[in-house]
Amino acid sequence: MNKPPDTATLPASAKELTDEERSLEGINADYKEKFGFHDPESGYAYKAPKGLNREVVENISEYKDEPEWMREFRLKALEHFMQRPTPAWGGNLAQIDWDDIHYFVRASEKASRDWDEVPEDIKNTFDRLGIPEAERKFLAGVGAQYESEVVYHQVREDLEKQGVIFLDMDSGLREHEDIVREYWATVIPPNDNKLAALNSAVWSGGSFVYVPAGVKVEMPLQAYFRINTENMGQFERTLIIAEEGSDVHYIEGCTAPVYSTDSLHSAVVEIIAKPGARIRYTTVQNWSQNVYNLVTKRAVAHEDATMEWVDCNLGSKLTMKYPSIYLLGERAHGEVLSIAFAGEGQHQDAGGKIIHAAPKTTSSIFSKSISKDAGRTSYRGLLEVAKGATESKSKVVCDALLLDEESRSDTYPTIRIGEDDVDVGHEATVSKIGDEQVFYLQSHGLSEEEASKMIVNGFIEPITKELPMEYAVEMNRLIELQMEGSIG
Amino acid sequence: MTESTSTTINVCPAGELPSGEMKLIEAPDGAKIGVFNCDGSLYAIEDRCSHDDGPLAEGPFDVDTCTVECPRHGSLFDLTSGRPKTLPAYQPVATYPVTIEDDTVRLEIS
Repeated sequence: MNKPPDTATLPASAKELTDEERSLEGINADYKEKFGFHDPESGYAYKAPKGLNREVVENISEYKDEPEWMREFRLKALEHFMQRPTPAWGGNLAQIDWDDIHYFVRASEKASRDWDEVPEDIKNTFDRLGIPEAERKFLAGVGAQYESEVVYHQVREDLEKQGVIFLDMDSGLREHEDIVREYWATVIPPNDNKLAALNSAVWSGGSFVYVPAGVKVEMPLQAYFRINTENMGQFERTLIIAEEGSDVHYIEGCTAPVYSTDSLHSAVVEIIAKPGARIRYTTVQNWSQNVYNLVTKRAVAHEDATMEWVDCNLGSKLTMKYPSIYLLGERAHGEVLSIAFAGEGQHQDAGGKIIHAAPKTTSSIFSKSISKDAGRTSYRGLLEVAKGATESKSKVVCDALLLDEESRSDTYPTIRIGEDDVDVGHEATVSKIGDEQVFYLQSHGLSEEEASKMIVNGFIEPITKELPMEYAVEMNRLIELQMEGSIG
Repeated sequence: MTESTSTTINVCPAGELPSGEMKLIEAPDGAKIGVFNCDGSLYAIEDRCSHDDGPLAEGPFDVDTCTVECPRHGSLFDLTSGRPKTLPAYQPVATYPVTIEDDTVRLEIS
């Protein structure tokens, strides 16, 4: 009997990647060079020992010289965190060792308004990431968080004159305590879930945005979050308040070095859109693949307000994030646009939640996910129409693209309808890149690779077209890396 | 046309519900109700969080703000109105009139 050939002796053609595999080969393959570097920690002002206890929380509050109510808030949240079990749903959190994390790392003594005052290593990092350049070109304001705290923050003078506040959260609490206290934890209370409790106990950094009534911020505000230390936990806290008839677009991006051990990012983002206001919150999440990204994001939209989450998840080991919108006022509108990409070793458990709590409210959730190399994507969503929310309309569409047999996609939609007079639709598809699609495009003169690239880009285009051009270009660049077969 | 009827329930002697305390009682229909003393003013709400129908009244009670916090997900309810002051609950819970007659705390259920 002849021994069957092992893979090493198979002809090259049999080992070649399929078009679909090639089409996304190389996404983030240059991560280590581009984002995965790390800086020395020699100049750090303070690094808390690993582990979480009352003393660590009290120290954070003391270092920040916070008011007593915030100290009490943190300590109460710590109790909630300790009492709650680690969630057993979504992704696998069992590997997180809560005692093996630095919960607070202060790299620089202060937040600066001048790039020249930022410590050299940190400045070089943000230069490499292109943040100062982006600020000059197309942003109305920038915040740059390095480890636990914001090291640079700036907003255009003309916006400041109109009363727009864009500060790091620590400064926001110091300089506008009344506003912060009025809205703080009203959207996400500390006992909402275990990770929100953790953030509430050890939060540090993040953004505070206040847009006065009628003010329209034409260019985006951006925050960039960078983890540098190994076994680091970053817990930024963001609060955005858009007063009546105002308009603002906030963008966040994030990266981290590649380490063999895991880091944790657990943010809380609270958003309040007052009557007639419009807020868009865009995330380009590109953490390294050793980061657990466990985030609670929630918004309320009052009468005639519009809230939009544009949520792109490319990086991280595991992301669990379901941006939600409570439509509390009549005719409020909410949208969630979500892209998730999961490669080898990644699980993107993403989605969105919309709660219609008032009549004539409208919403949509569009989710697009791509899985390859045994990566896993999940859509987890909630659509709720409360009793009394008559004449409400909602559409949920979630599409998954699987690029190989080992990859996995799951959909967990929950729909609760408490009214008869509503219009609700839900569509879900799971697909591969079809041979006939590739053939059709080839018949129009495209190569196989170009055809696959076009199909993948077309798949996510409904969402990338909503990104500012610079970010859409970056997303497309990531996709194109592999399509050209240039890597791998 | 229907006529509403109300039932009065004796909760406890007034001395057994000092400021900062809560009594959980069961109405004849089986529904549980929390009766709170906020600095001398008495309030009653149904023992059900409007977020996920879990128990509410035995959560942390803040007499200064006259609120109770849902022990399950942290929504803060105003005891004077039954309205949530924080998410994730967004709908009010039922409230009931409370009086003291003959040194007894009484609850009126309609």
